[in-house]
Amino acid sequence: MPKPAPAANLLPLTPPVFHILLALADEERHGYGIMQDVARQTNDALQLGPGTLYGCLKRMLTAGLVEESDERPDTELDDERRRYYRMTDLGRGVVRAEAHRLAEAVIAARARLGLAGGK
Amino acid sequence: MDSISIRGLCGIYAAMLYAYPRDFRRQYGAEMQQVFRDRCREQSGASWLAFSGSTAMDWIASVIRERRAASLAVSAQMGAGRKLIQEWAVTLLLFLFVTTTMVQAYVVPTGSMENNILIGDHMLVDKVGFSNTGNNWTSYVLPTRQVKRGDIIAFRFPEDVRQTFVKRVIGLPGDRIHLQNKRVIRNGQPLDEPYAQHVTSYIDDDRDNFPTAAAPAAFAHQVQDGDVIVPPDMLFVLGDNRDDSLDSRYWGFVPRDYIVGKPLVIYWSYDGSTKDFETWNIAHLEDVALHFFTKTRWSRTLTTP
Repeated sequence: MPKPAPAANLLPLTPPVFHILLALADEERHGYGIMQDVARQTNDALQLGPGTLYGCLKRMLTAGLVEESDERPDTELDDERRRYYRMTDLGRGVVRAEAHRLAEAVIAARARLGLAGGK
Repeated sequence: MDSISIRGLCGIYAAMLYAYPRDFRRQYGAEMQQVFRDRCREQSGASWLAFSGSTAMDWIASVIRERRAASLAVSAQMGAGRKLIQEWAVTLLLFLFVTTTMVQAYVVPTGSMENNILIGDHMLVDKVGFSNTGNNWTSYVLPTRQVKRGDIIAFRFPEDVRQTFVKRVIGLPGDRIHLQNKRVIRNGQPLDEPYAQHVTSYIDDDRDNFPTAAAPAAFAHQVQDGDVIVPPDMLFVLGDNRDDSLDSRYWGFVPRDYIVGKPLVIYWSYDGSTKDFETWNIAHLEDVALHFFTKTRWSRTLTTP
């Protein structure tokens, strides 16, 4: 694996990458679990297809944002073994930095557009 | 959707994975199939259309993205052209396979199915939907079903198999059929046919009554008490434009094996005349070039006949 790049070089994140990282913030998940969680986070606005999901995961693995955890079955779905993904410390740093960047952008937008906070 | 159909869809998806670069497919293919199957189980009724649409879009977008990433990763030792061909060969083969085996494009040159199918309708015909006649392997991959009365089918014209006709199935094997003053009577019951249209009001005995002495010889042994009885493995078909349609009344039954498929979607409908769509001619090309936007029937685009 190449040497992980410093967090700032990876910003801004694309929406799928950002939401995948958020999905992995509190627990390890398998692919379908990530997809469901991203849909929940975005009120179904972002429905990741399998191709988009695994394309992102591949690049995130290479960049060192996530790592593969062990393979184990999900008892709720079926007995088949599934590969789980976990966020790395670098991933956590990057998603925090991105959230911060987005927050700054929102503040700037509100100031310029005269929107009240919270709307 | 039942588990057999889901298994069929997963089979198609597994085949679609071959469009991705080999390394990507080997690494993530199995997981992608798992995810696809999980998502299939979530779907119900109306959500299938949106689901297939978004899956197709995801497939196209991510195949392009991963192929581009893969070709950037491949070192520049190969010539650009050769590399491009290698990278896209599988994808191209897959597209070719789909367009020859599963769907075929046709244009309708005659108005025998008006007002449901018009002259100039360009349509894709699903060649797999009715394929459960023999031991056709595709029926294990895609959902298939038996032909029903009222289905619109595309089939080879029995008197000239080079021509493909589109008509509506009126009689299945065993059905007893006759026409009395334009009215179809099947197994003793007059049919209510909201899809049929009559452009003339007078009765033409050879056309509006059936079978008559003028009926083709093919029917000679199939007539019983004034009804034609559809033989095993045959179909009786009529055009919706009942007064202006050359159909089973004039040339006999359609063998079940002559079915090409069922019209899936009209992808382009252009207002033109029969000769424009039967043979290519320069005048027609010119007409399309000049009047594409005004003579395209936009409201028919992407509708199912």
